[in-house]
Amino acid sequence: MNAPTTMRLPQSADFRFPAAIEPARQEDLRLVTGTGRYAADWIYPGMLHAFVIRSQVAHARISKTDFSAVREAPGVVAVLTASDVAEAGFGSLPNAVTNKARDGSPQKQVLMPVLATDRVLFAGQPIAMVIASTARAAQDAAELALVDLEALPAVAHVGDALAPGAPQLHPDVPGNLSLRFEAGDAEAVEKAFAVARFVSKLRVESQRLIPSPMEPRAVVAIHDPGSQKTRLHAPNQGMVGMLNYLVAITKWPAESIEVLAQDVGGSFGIRSGAFSEHVLVMLAARKLGKPVRWVGSRSEVFLSDFHGRALALSGAIAMDEQGRFLAIRFDDEVDLGAYNCYFSTHIGTRNLSITMGGVYKVPALAMRSDLVFTNTVPISAYRGAGRPDIAYAIERLVDHAAHEHGFDPVALRRLNFIDREAFPYTTANGTVYDSGDFEQVLDRALELADYSGFRARQQASAAQGKLRGIGLAFYLEASGPGGAPKDQVEGSFSADGYMTVYAVTGASGQGHETSFAQIIESELGWPAARVRYRAGDPAHHLIGNSTGGSRTLYGAGSAIKAMCAAWIEKLKPEAAQRLGLSTDDISFVNGGFHKTSSLSKALPSDPAAAASLSVETLIDALIAEGRAGELGVIGEATSGSTFPNGCHCAEVEIDPDTGMTALLHYIAVDDLGKVISPQLVQGQVHGGVVQGWGQAFCEHAIYDRGSAQLLSGSYMDYAMPRAGCLSSIRNDTINVPTRLNLLGSKGVGESGCSGSLPALANAVIDALRPLGVSSMDMPFTAAKVWAAIRQSDHGA
Amino acid sequence: MKIRLIINAITHEVEVEERTLLADLLRDQLGLTGTHLGCDTSQCGCCTVHLDGEAVKSCTMLAVQAAGCSVLTIEGLAQAHADTRSGFESIDSSRERSSLASEEAGQALEVHPVQAAFAACHALQCGFCTPGMIMASADLLRRHPDPSDEQILEGLAGNLCRCTGYVNIVKAVKQAAAQMQTLAAARSGQ
Amino acid sequence: MYAFQYRRPSSVEEALELAAADEEAKYLAGGMTLIPALKHRLSSPSQLIDVARLAHLQRCERIDGDTQTLWRIGAAVRHAEVAAHPGLAQDLPALTALAAGIGDPQVRARGTIGGSVANNDPAADYPSALLALNAVVITNRRRLGAQDFFQGMFSTALEDQEMIFAVEFPIPKRAAYAKFPHPATGYAMAGVFVAQHLAGDWRVAVTGVGAGVFRWVAAEEAIAAGDPVPALERDDLMEDMHAPGSYRAHLASVMLAKARGELAGGV
Repeated sequence: MNAPTTMRLPQSADFRFPAAIEPARQEDLRLVTGTGRYAADWIYPGMLHAFVIRSQVAHARISKTDFSAVREAPGVVAVLTASDVAEAGFGSLPNAVTNKARDGSPQKQVLMPVLATDRVLFAGQPIAMVIASTARAAQDAAELALVDLEALPAVAHVGDALAPGAPQLHPDVPGNLSLRFEAGDAEAVEKAFAVARFVSKLRVESQRLIPSPMEPRAVVAIHDPGSQKTRLHAPNQGMVGMLNYLVAITKWPAESIEVLAQDVGGSFGIRSGAFSEHVLVMLAARKLGKPVRWVGSRSEVFLSDFHGRALALSGAIAMDEQGRFLAIRFDDEVDLGAYNCYFSTHIGTRNLSITMGGVYKVPALAMRSDLVFTNTVPISAYRGAGRPDIAYAIERLVDHAAHEHGFDPVALRRLNFIDREAFPYTTANGTVYDSGDFEQVLDRALELADYSGFRARQQASAAQGKLRGIGLAFYLEASGPGGAPKDQVEGSFSADGYMTVYAVTGASGQGHETSFAQIIESELGWPAARVRYRAGDPAHHLIGNSTGGSRTLYGAGSAIKAMCAAWIEKLKPEAAQRLGLSTDDISFVNGGFHKTSSLSKALPSDPAAAASLSVETLIDALIAEGRAGELGVIGEATSGSTFPNGCHCAEVEIDPDTGMTALLHYIAVDDLGKVISPQLVQGQVHGGVVQGWGQAFCEHAIYDRGSAQLLSGSYMDYAMPRAGCLSSIRNDTINVPTRLNLLGSKGVGESGCSGSLPALANAVIDALRPLGVSSMDMPFTAAKVWAAIRQSDHGA
Repeated sequence: MKIRLIINAITHEVEVEERTLLADLLRDQLGLTGTHLGCDTSQCGCCTVHLDGEAVKSCTMLAVQAAGCSVLTIEGLAQAHADTRSGFESIDSSRERSSLASEEAGQALEVHPVQAAFAACHALQCGFCTPGMIMASADLLRRHPDPSDEQILEGLAGNLCRCTGYVNIVKAVKQAAAQMQTLAAARSGQ
Repeated sequence: MYAFQYRRPSSVEEALELAAADEEAKYLAGGMTLIPALKHRLSSPSQLIDVARLAHLQRCERIDGDTQTLWRIGAAVRHAEVAAHPGLAQDLPALTALAAGIGDPQVRARGTIGGSVANNDPAADYPSALLALNAVVITNRRRLGAQDFFQGMFSTALEDQEMIFAVEFPIPKRAAYAKFPHPATGYAMAGVFVAQHLAGDWRVAVTGVGAGVFRWVAAEEAIAAGDPVPALERDDLMEDMHAPGSYRAHLASVMLAKARGELAGGV
């Protein structure tokens, strides 16, 4: 079946771009020619195939299982069950971040088992894994499994899980409440509300989403009995992070596991943790002595990849007579899904509270989050992981307050901005924002949006019978602090004339390879085209952070800048010697070493006149002399959270006949600090904005209330954004550097979501406000908008 | 059963099960993994290939349905473009080969204008949807060599992307259209 | 998928013989509905009889009769072919426009009118055209008027192993189709085909809204009388997580108005 043919398979080296074309990134050649390699593309001789048997029911006791017919089915080699997992000594899937209640008591944690033992808690939960000679044989055999489930009452939504008398999902968690998290100063907030002239309240939902990167998850494990090492091909967001989780679950020594990924088909947060399938194929590969591959189908990963968001945020804001913010309070309901997996706790606690004041001076802040178990797929990080949600809630609340009490929404924001001179700024709940110039960002956004011309455009739409609205949103988010003590990269040169950079984290579409090569070219003068990037190479043990929280560019990028500085120091004596000077007499400028005293005579922009010895020439000479091996360096840097922020503006037009919303214009003005690759940054913003559009208008992972079955179980019911949803977007960036990393860059990966959700929502509400609609939850489907219009004061 | 079909201008005789999907034949049996599987409801378009000159979803076809037909995958697109420049009628030329052209010529093949435009316009990020998106774009340009915005969107309606937001993809299609019109004009001028 | 046999007969006769000999066999044309059903193990035929290439099923021809002219479209004619057919575009542009809006380009390259009609998805586009245009479904056994052919969602009058040969469309005086697409599938959330026939009578057929395609008789009467069209009232309005029945019913009115707005000569 898997016998390779004698046809020679194409490789990226078979192709080239025409001379006139400059690809945006180095990896593009293999990706546009189909010569990349994603996890499901790996074929090994003798490879076996796995299929997972999953619970069809959302909440049940497993009374009996019998896999004997499965084991005897044609082609089946083994069936892994919970007892195999126990025998192997595996642990549960980790809860990467926990938190405490206000009184110091710990979170009531329930971790997800690799395979269900006596109970199942969500439809789709893995029960066993069948391994066979072909994927089809495994799937055919799986149908013969006998799994007796005694169904129990299930809850699909937080409200139902918290209701009195609700079924209790876990024995030690009464009321299904895993944690009540509190942050800020509730007393100060209460005092502020007591004296406030104006108070506004708004509850918003950030609905459950299916992250759905285009590559359905697949894993391949190969065990080498000689070295006792198991290799795992798995999409991931950083080798070290994935390795740590695999070790935590399997208890195998870290040296015995290698994680590999060449190309990753999108991550958005859900590739950071190890799943049941990862450790099961590893166990199977060891036991059976053959490579084992599991490939998820799309409907399957709808139920086996963690879900995103699923928060309800009830906000209240207190203002004085002039509209100055006195306090903001949030009460949140956070759906965890059936177990505490990886980042759900962080999403529902600190990732909401860190920036809960947004870009505003707010003297008193308080938040309370209830984290609740339901019989649904567990939640973990999805692009922004709580930060788009809080940005959404804040900006909806501010807009709501403005309109409720007669303030202009732009003027109200301006009045309450943190001043540009006030940075670093410490918020009422202790977060230190690095830098920002919100006035400048706002002004630029208003200019690009032709905000002042909106009324005329609105009237023109009204004359056509259409409802036009404009929505503004100012977001600020905290990019990832990074759990590792520092970021390291290692660089070396080889005889073939290439620099190779080793780092912890690989890309899943962000173009890190290209950005890092650009940093190297500008810092060191070594051509980007001669840089190779190797992420997660097991032979190079480096400390560093995985990708997550939009920090890779400035985190690993700063380490790369440090690496370049280390090279300059290392090469200086060599350069001095070749120039016949002492090291004190030479300087490094513009990619070359020059006699310092001659520099003032030369124009900085004229390298030919000033250059005495370019770095490129020097290194090539050293390589030619066989001394490439001396050139290895390590660069390291410590980079904390940064605070990218921005102002997004959306202009929409609603057809009241159908409820359809057309997005006419979109403006994104972002403060990302120093921008390394404008084209890649723009790509990240486009992608983030469209994911936000998806949440705003069509995506929703809908569960049936009674059965807790996922109703939107495939793309037939889970609507995804398609080409054309965003036809007109203008980007700009305002560069307010941060001092928190060597590059001065802030992260961009998740900003698009944080800005787009509130901008789009505020625009839709703005369009409907004249009809008496003041609030609505996402997704703003045509059906929902139409119903709101019909039910409004003016719609009947 | 045994079937015979042309893939990327090379004739293959393969043994398949009746229920083998065309996508599975390409990926698992022939190792042409550039064609990707992104969903199981025929909606994402990651598996798009050309069958007798038209874009189709290879996950929604049985290999046996393609018996006697000519299939072009992403891996064969550059060669097909080279053939067009050498005077063959369409990019889905069924001129048979015995081996890959790059072996014959001994040097790297220039990619198809759509592939080049995608790279130049940053119309891909993770790259998973990209082969299918490129094959769909090439097909849309065959039908509409100078497409309007509406025709581009309609041509991409069967393809999902989660990374790029589609903005640069539309740009790339327009750039490729212009480039291909220039090439066609040059050819007809000869 | 479950295993099955695959045969590619070289004639209609051979296809019918294969079907007669195996009651669990199914005809396969484009496979745009059948293959996904097989992949999800919703169907387990013993044999697939591939009729996609049979010449007899591929003809698309104009037939000039004594009383009327009509178009006969072979069951295996693909949506892309209908969409691009110059003769059809001349006589029945509403039909070519409908075909051009089915699914997406890749689906249109494979899907066929015979397959769509035999499947009778309650949100498919073609059934509304057949019903509004008084089309006739020609099988190997008989001719069936559209009204008799469609019998509720996923249900038709086709008997076991009966094969559709072609669909005949009388050319109307004028016609138009308007559809509001389902946000996820692109099928019709409401699709309305309106036609005025040569004798002056009106037909309005609605898909995506009820439990199968239906004629909206109240609308037909209103248009004929020059009265405003009343709101759609049905017992079988489709309700799902995407939209309540009331919304779909409303969309039907909106799509009817849109289609009427596109009629030549205006109505």
